[in-house]
Amino acid sequence: MGNPLSLDPLFNIGPVPITAPVVVTWAIIAGLALFSILATRRLRLLPGRTQTLLELIVTTLDGQIRDTMDRDPAPYRPLIGTIFLFVLVANWSSLIPGIEPPTAHIETDAALALIVFAATVGFGISRLGLKGYLATFAEPSWVMIPLNIVEQITRTFSLIVRLFGNMMSGVFVIGIVLSLAGLFVPIPLMALDLLTGAVQAYIFAILATVFIGAAVGDPPNRAKSPKEGTEQ
Amino acid sequence: MTIDWWTLGLQTINVLVLVWILARFLFRPVTQMITERQAAAHAALDDARAAKAEAEAARAAAKDAAAGVANDRTALLAKARADAEQEKQRLHDEAMTELDTLRADARTEMAQAAKDRQQALSEQAGALALDIAARLIDRLPDEARIAGFIDGLADAVAKLPEATRAAIGDGAPVDLRAARALTDAEKTRLTDRLQAVLGRPVDITVTPDPSLLAGLELDAATAIVRNTLRADLDRIEAEVTRHDG
Repeated sequence: MGNPLSLDPLFNIGPVPITAPVVVTWAIIAGLALFSILATRRLRLLPGRTQTLLELIVTTLDGQIRDTMDRDPAPYRPLIGTIFLFVLVANWSSLIPGIEPPTAHIETDAALALIVFAATVGFGISRLGLKGYLATFAEPSWVMIPLNIVEQITRTFSLIVRLFGNMMSGVFVIGIVLSLAGLFVPIPLMALDLLTGAVQAYIFAILATVFIGAAVGDPPNRAKSPKEGTEQ
Repeated sequence: MTIDWWTLGLQTINVLVLVWILARFLFRPVTQMITERQAAAHAALDDARAAKAEAEAARAAAKDAAAGVANDRTALLAKARADAEQEKQRLHDEAMTELDTLRADARTEMAQAAKDRQQALSEQAGALALDIAARLIDRLPDEARIAGFIDGLADAVAKLPEATRAAIGDGAPVDLRAARALTDAEKTRLTDRLQAVLGRPVDITVTPDPSLLAGLELDAATAIVRNTLRADLDRIEAEVTRHDG
């Protein structure tokens, strides 16, 4: 098992070095794409087991987004849902022997956090306009502008560090226990790692939802409520 | 710790590509199917509501129809009762009219029967009186059947109109009927009395007729002069019958 803090390229495509997390991510993308195409090929009004599972995932996702943002989940569903499914599958990919989860490398977590940051800014501007979005940094007072800017950066870093720390530590612990105790001893720790992976995927997706929701402002039915002011 | 910026960039692109793939091949079709199912459910609910509304309307219409039938039935029953009452009254009136007619007919028949009975009794009384008179006449002397009636006959002829009297015995014998054959004396006396009354000589022919009981009957061309007991009894009987009727 390699050091998760350093990446060695497996091969190069021109000047671009291709590392293990990228290859595993490609495999995850291929697997999810293949599953999506096959599972949604024959959707019916009376669903089967697979369709029921897919609809359960989508409706649960919509419910979480609606509960968190109090808005129509349709514009945010692809991003939030993809982040959740990708992080979940990436975290659980550690169950396959010899595979390190991409989320155990800081580049993948940073890429996810950067996308969330960009989506936060993009949804905020599209919803409030550039001036309106920038004005949110001066709430509740212009004195808060530096703190709000720092908050934007730090919470992005917190996303990176939280996911990276949890997944990297899990890989480390399992590697250490496996090297010291033997083949079957790390199994309980791997089961715990499954739970940790699912929880981290949920936390990452929910935090992304909260950040985007805060950027787009109050929901339409609460926007003019004088007592509820700002929630960011 | 160092960051591999190539890996960071590639992972960013990978995640964005995955966002597009899942949006295109997973979330969109599943969401579309959920929307279609919700639309189908709403359509089914709308159909059910429409069917329910139709059923409610049909039930209300049936209720109205039942109420209408009940009203018609009540009206028909009332009309039937009125018709029956009217028919009953008509039959009663007809029966009363017929009864009155029958009563009147019965009264008429009873009156007629009483009249007929009275007539029969009168006739029997007349016959009985005739029989009694005949028996009594038989007990009288034979002269009494003629002698007492000659003057009466002459007086009756004298009271006849002049033209009638002129026709009696004009060129032919006077026809007479008598209760018995006249004796010569009686015939002479009768001829004398008639000549005295008529004022000219006449011949007489007498035909015996015991049914006259007593007396004489003159048969002129235009009149009959009766002075007989039988004629008297017939007159009495007719008078009695007229009074009884």
